[in-house]
Parts: sequence; C-alpha cells; structure tokens
Amino acid sequence: MKTVYIKPENCIGCKHCEVACAVEHSETKNLYSAISEEPLPISKIHVMPTFGIMAYPGKCMHCDPTPCIQVCPSGAISRDKETDTILINEEKCIGCGMCAIVCPFSAVLFNPSWRVSVDRDVAHKCDNCFERITNDLIPACVEACKTGALGYGDINEIIREERRAVGKTAAQLAAAIPVEEKIPELLKVWRDLALSMSQVGEKK
Amino acid sequence: MIKEEFLERTIDSTARKSLEKADQDRIETVWDRLESQEPQCGYGLLGICCRNCAMGPCRIDPFGNNPTRGVCGADADTLVARNLARMIAAGAAAHSDHGRDIVEVLHLTALGKTSGYQITDEEKLKRIAGEYGINVDGRVKEEIAKELAEKAMDEYGMRKNTLQFAERAPEKRKEIWKNLGIWPRSIDREIVEIMHRTTMGVDADFVNILLQGLRVSLSDGWGGSMIATEFSDILFGTPTPKESFVNLGVLKEDTVNIIVHGHNPLMSEMVVDASRDAEIIKLAKQKGATGITLAGICCTANEILMRKGIPVAGNFLIQELAITTGAVDAMVVDYQCIMPSLVPIADCYQTKLITTSPKAKIKGATHIEFDPERAYEIGKEIVKEAIEAYGNRNPDRVNIPNHPVKMMAGFSAEAILGALGGTVQPLIDAIVAGKIRGIAAIVGCNNPKIKQDYGHVTLAKRLIENNVLVIQTGCSAIATGKAGLLVPEAADQAGEGLKEIANALGVPPILHMGSCVDISRILTVAAVIAKELNVDISDLPVAGAAPEWMTEKAVAIGAYVVASGIFTVLGPIPPVLGSANVTGLLTQGLGDVVGATFAVEPDPEKAAELIIKHIDEKRKALGLTTPPTGAS
Ligand code: SF4
Ligand code: SF4
Ligand code: SF4
Repeated sequence: MKTVYIKPENCIGCKHCEVACAVEHSETKNLYSAISEEPLPISKIHVMPTFGIMAYPGKCMHCDPTPCIQVCPSGAISRDKETDTILINEEKCIGCGMCAIVCPFSAVLFNPSWRVSVDRDVAHKCDNCFERITNDLIPACVEACKTGALGYGDINEIIREERRAVGKTAAQLAAAIPVEEKIPELLKVWRDLALSMSQVGEKK
Repeated sequence: MIKEEFLERTIDSTARKSLEKADQDRIETVWDRLESQEPQCGYGLLGICCRNCAMGPCRIDPFGNNPTRGVCGADADTLVARNLARMIAAGAAAHSDHGRDIVEVLHLTALGKTSGYQITDEEKLKRIAGEYGINVDGRVKEEIAKELAEKAMDEYGMRKNTLQFAERAPEKRKEIWKNLGIWPRSIDREIVEIMHRTTMGVDADFVNILLQGLRVSLSDGWGGSMIATEFSDILFGTPTPKESFVNLGVLKEDTVNIIVHGHNPLMSEMVVDASRDAEIIKLAKQKGATGITLAGICCTANEILMRKGIPVAGNFLIQELAITTGAVDAMVVDYQCIMPSLVPIADCYQTKLITTSPKAKIKGATHIEFDPERAYEIGKEIVKEAIEAYGNRNPDRVNIPNHPVKMMAGFSAEAILGALGGTVQPLIDAIVAGKIRGIAAIVGCNNPKIKQDYGHVTLAKRLIENNVLVIQTGCSAIATGKAGLLVPEAADQAGEGLKEIANALGVPPILHMGSCVDISRILTVAAVIAKELNVDISDLPVAGAAPEWMTEKAVAIGAYVVASGIFTVLGPIPPVLGSANVTGLLTQGLGDVVGATFAVEPDPEKAAELIIKHIDEKRKALGLTTPPTGAS
C-alpha cells in the first residue's frame, strides 16, 4: 500500500505543498491561471503553526476502517481498492459535515468546487492526487516538498527503512560510536531561538 | 479586565487598552496579521531562497539534501550572504536618502529658495564646514551652507572616493577599514555595488560579499546617517535636554489632534510650526476645539521631541492603535515604517491619513505633496485638513487611554559633552572608577514577534541595575520612555555607581539620543572616547543591542555598529541560519577581522548577561577592575 507520509521534524512551514496542491486540484492545473479561477482552488493539505516555528502539514490519512465512509449519509465517500485512496464524489456530497465531525485528523473542509455545477459548499480533502498516482506520478505536495517532510511510498518499505535506522542507532549506541544527528545543528539552534523568541516575556 | 491575549502582546498599558478597543471595533492589527501569516516560510526565515533571476526562484534544503544549490549553482553560503547584503543595502539606502533630502533642503535654503526653513545652528554649520575644509572666516552663513551642501552632495557621487565623516573614527579603526578594503568610497556607490554584486552570476564568495556589506553599512553609519543627523542639526538646531510626555495619553479629547509619523524632520518641523501659527489656532478654535495637539510616532517623533519637546504618542507598533482611539484627526506621514494598513483603519474613524512624500504614497490616503519651496504653506494646508477632520470626529467613538508619562530627551553628543563640562574625561573617570561599568546602546524597532517594549525595557533595566549607562535612539528609546525610565528619578532603579553619577548631573540613567539616524551620534561619542584614551572603539567597554528589531535599516545599523568595533546583540533572529559559514563569520569570524561580532538572544534577561560579560572582558583587557554583578 502506497501512501503519503509526514516527517514533521523536517517541515519548515514554507507552504510549497499547499500551493502545489491547490494548483493540482484547480480546473486549469496551471499556477498562473489557477489564481484567477472562480471559485478559487483550495489546498487539501494544511500547514499549521504548532509552537515556536514548528509547523505541521495536516491532511487526510486515508484510514481503514474509514470513519467518514461509515457516517456519510449520501454515499459520497468511497475507497479505491487499487490505490487505497479515500475519494469524495463532490456531486453526491450534501455538505452535511458528518465526515468532518468524525474525522480524527480534522482533514475535511467545506468550500465551493469547480467540479459541482451548483454553487454550494462541498467536502474537500486529500485524494492522494488520484489522477497523478494513477499516471505514475507522485502526489503534488510530495514533489513540491524539498525538505523531505513529505514522502510517498509503500508503507511497509518506509517502516522497514525507519526500523533499519533505529537499529543502526541502537547498535551505534551499544558500541559507543557517536550517532549522527538527524537534524543539522544550526537548524536546532534556529528552532530553539525561535521558541525562546515566541516565549519572551511570558509568565513562567 | 483586559484580555490575556492583549496582555501578552505588549507591556504598554495604553496599547493594551487600545487593543481592547480595536477588538471591540473589529479592527485588524499587525498582531492579527502576524497570526494569519504563521507558520512563516522556513526558507525565508533561514535566508536560503533566491529570486534574483528567472531561472529561479530557487531554494536550498536546510536539511542538507537536494537541492543544495540554485539553478545557477549558488550554494547556501552565497544565497544567505547575497540576501543579507541586499538587506544592508536597502537599509543604508533608506537612511542615506533621508540624508540626501536634508542636504538638498540645506542647499535650497542657502540659496534662499525655501519657505519655512532657516540655518538655525550657525556654530554647528561652521564646525562641520571646518571638518570639510571649508573656509568660514568672514563669510555669511548662507555662503558657507551652500558650499557645505555641495560638498555633501559629492559624498553621494563617484569623484571624491572617500567619506569625510569616516575621518572621525580613531586611527586604529581607520587602519582596520583600510586594510580590509572596506573604507567607504561614497554613499550611493556602495549601495549600487551591492546590487551589482548580488545579481545573477557576479559575486559568489560569501566572505567577499559580506565585506562589501560592511562597507555599505559604513557608508550609512559614517555617511548617510551622520549627514542626516548633522545637517538636520544645522537646519533645525542641535538638541539640548528637555522634558516632554509620552504614550497615547498625550492625545486630548477637546483639541484637534495631529500625529506626525515617519522619519524625516523636514515635514514634521513644518507641521510643528504651522500648528503654532496664530491664524491656524484661531481656525481650530472656531471649529470648537480648545487648541491643537501635535504628537509623533516613530523617528520623526524623536526628531521633533529632541529639538522642540513635542510629545510622543508611541513607537512603531502604536501607529494603528493611535487611530483606534478615535481621537486622531490627521495622521501625517512621510516615509519608512508606515504600515499600509493605516488606510482601512483611518477610514473607520474619519481620520485623515495624509501622505506627503512622492516616494511614499498609499492608495486610499490623501496626498499633499511636500515641496521645500512652499514647505510652510504646505504645513498649514495639512493642519487645516486636520481641523476640517476635527469637525467630523464622532465623540462616541473616542476613547483615549489617559496618563501620559513624563520623559526627558535631547541628549545629542554636544549636549552630553556640555553636561560633562566640555570633555568626556568625567565619563572616562567614572568608567575607570567602576561607577559606570560600561555603556550600552539599545536601539531599534518593535516587532510583533516580541512582546512590545518588553525586550527594550527589560534589557535597559537589567543593564542600569548593573551600572551600565544606557544610551538609546529610535523606537527603543520611546519604549523606555513609556516605561518611565527616561526621567532623572529613574536613577533610583540604577546601581549605586550609575545612580550617583546620574544624580550629580541631574540626568536619567538612560539617555535618549534621538532618532535611528542619530545612532551616528553614538558613533561620534564612541570615537571621541576612544581617541581620548588612544585606543580603538573595539577596546571600549561598550556594546549594542537591538532587542526588537524588524527593518532592513536595523540590519544596516547592526552591520555598521559591528564594523565600527562594537559587539551587538540582536533579539529577533536574522535570516542567516541557513548557512553555517555565514553564521560562523557573523558570530565569531568577524571578531578577528573587525574586533566585534553579532550575537542573537531573544530573551532580554540573557542578552543583559551577554552584554555585561562582554563589558567586563573589555574592562579587564584595559586593566580595569570588574564591579560585582547583580541587581541593586
Ligand atoms: S477524511 Fe478523515 S476520516 Fe476520512 S479517511 Fe481521511 S483522515 Fe480518515
Ligand atoms: S512543502 Fe514540505 S516543508 Fe514545506 S510546508 Fe509542506 S510539508 Fe512543510
Ligand atoms: S541567481 Fe541562481 S539561485 Fe538565484 S534564482 Fe537565479 S539560478 Fe536560482
């Protein structure tokens, strides 16, 4: 099963993913024309501030079992078995908000969409860039993210890699070999300073 | 009860009240906009994006993976250095262009072509003319001023190849600049050269770029800014100590209230004069007002405070809140630090927002263009607009936070020397005796990323407690003014030694030296002390700090202060941490080169510790004893 995975420690809050997502889901799929579309395209990945300058790119995690499918009264939400993608049929969506209420990741937003003929708000959320992944492309946000905060791959493969890294660290620690830092020193300094800056004058 | 959220934004009690009012009136402020900008882009914060050509925009992965270079091959060091150099150039351009406007008006005034201006300080005119080698004997002031202004114009050009005021630096410092090849040749030239060097495919060596960055900063501190200060003194008078009041409480319910905001004294001085014109005051009274209240914001406030004792409404983050009092009939702006957001806010309260500079228009504002040949008439026109607007004021929407705070300002280099009896020797004696541990210049802006004024005020308090004499300019000085620290009685909050000296002289433990271009006054004083001791500026127990900086001008200032040999602590993080090499150079490497470095420390308590440690090290090197640390 392939999926978009998030490494929050690598997110620097640049919002490139948001722009790429909005363009990908626009009618014209072109930055320069997308910005004057009516309705304006919106991003389905949401980069949120957390603390200090740490940001988190939140999106639909394509759950299974799938709370949103279970509650959707109009049958607008479905699973694509091939890609394990949860898809919304916007024409069928009645904008009731049930999916948003049950979504554990607060991933669903309501906005107009160029895909529905009548001007009304429908559910928007990540569709794994369905058109792209079924054409051998990686999702737009992953392509846009240059810091490695977003990746795309087989979930077991990703876990295997992570496990290998954990194993290596454990072995190095056991053998008293210094462990190389995952995050460059200066970035840590930056994040510490920014955290301290956001707390200046706060009551301790 | 004021909402917790507003208490967290500022320590200025009048600002807190106005934030509450802004909230009730549904006014969006700078703090709200910062919130909607968050998270801010890490590439920008780290300085590793470039859009200097159309192969880009490019950015570098700060985690060390691909991309490590822009399309052209520029790496993080080059990108960060180029971006920083451009910030310094923009800051230097702003100060220097302000200086240029003053020079032009001095020239026109000498030719008798202006209205409202005169050569006020003839003694200073002659002194500065002397520095430029101009013969002053038996010549009328207009003739001297004309020649001086023309000489100053050459400082902006490419024929002279040196800056006169840089000669004020001590010999050792001048040697350092010459040996490094960073002696400034001319004001405009260094700025233009930065723009050239940082365009696609020119200078890629981060050290070389940063050295030019230092050179352009010197052309600001010892050039454009110093010209702005000295020539303003000639036109409007050299400041002397005087009392005034500060915070939003200076506005009055029953007067026409005018706020001047921006930087250059050319416009604000005329508004001051016009608001004192008998015919104009009569007009205000006819409209039912009891008179005209004029107050300032940002550095133009400091200019007219220093010379005329005009009250100050607040510093940078007060500009929007001032209008939300509903009591500002006109806000008159020239340039720099003017938020475009003033237009919609002014609209909500029938405040006339008047732009005056052809260089700084804002859509939606009324533009009354400033013209030195009709300056006084234009000043009157502006005040009349305010009187007109007073008639439209809605009293139900007025809410002025009361209780303005008393403050003292006007400490020009000349005034400080005057207070010391004509020489810096008493100050040196106090430093040697350890009564004054050292001197720290706290300068710079407000930045909504730091609780307003908290950085300035906390740092200043810690330093004076430890007998460090604090000198200030800009929005930083307004912050401590609002906190009640710019009065002689504040000496009680200082350590024993500093308290004794301040009391003996009848001055505050913190000296307000003027606007941001007046940091040149600080350089002048530092140079005088160093020369008196026959040492370099970098040998002195002095330090600089910008605890809440935000503009590019502050970057230029930081650079020239460090390039002049003064250790400087920044509060907000500059966009350089994307390059380990540039960061290393700024925080360490520069020490070996110019004898001073930058440090970044957002927490003012810790910044105070850094500064005291630095001062004590310098004292030790000079063979002076170290007074004990700790609050009084
Ligand atoms: S919308 Fe929410 S509940 Fe539905 S699949 Fe995505 S993350 Fe899960
Ligand atoms: S593109 Fe990557 S680093 Fe940038 S905000 Fe999105 S997830 Fe974070
Ligand atoms: S100058 Fe180089 S780094 Fe900058 S935008 Fe052009 S190619 Fe990219």
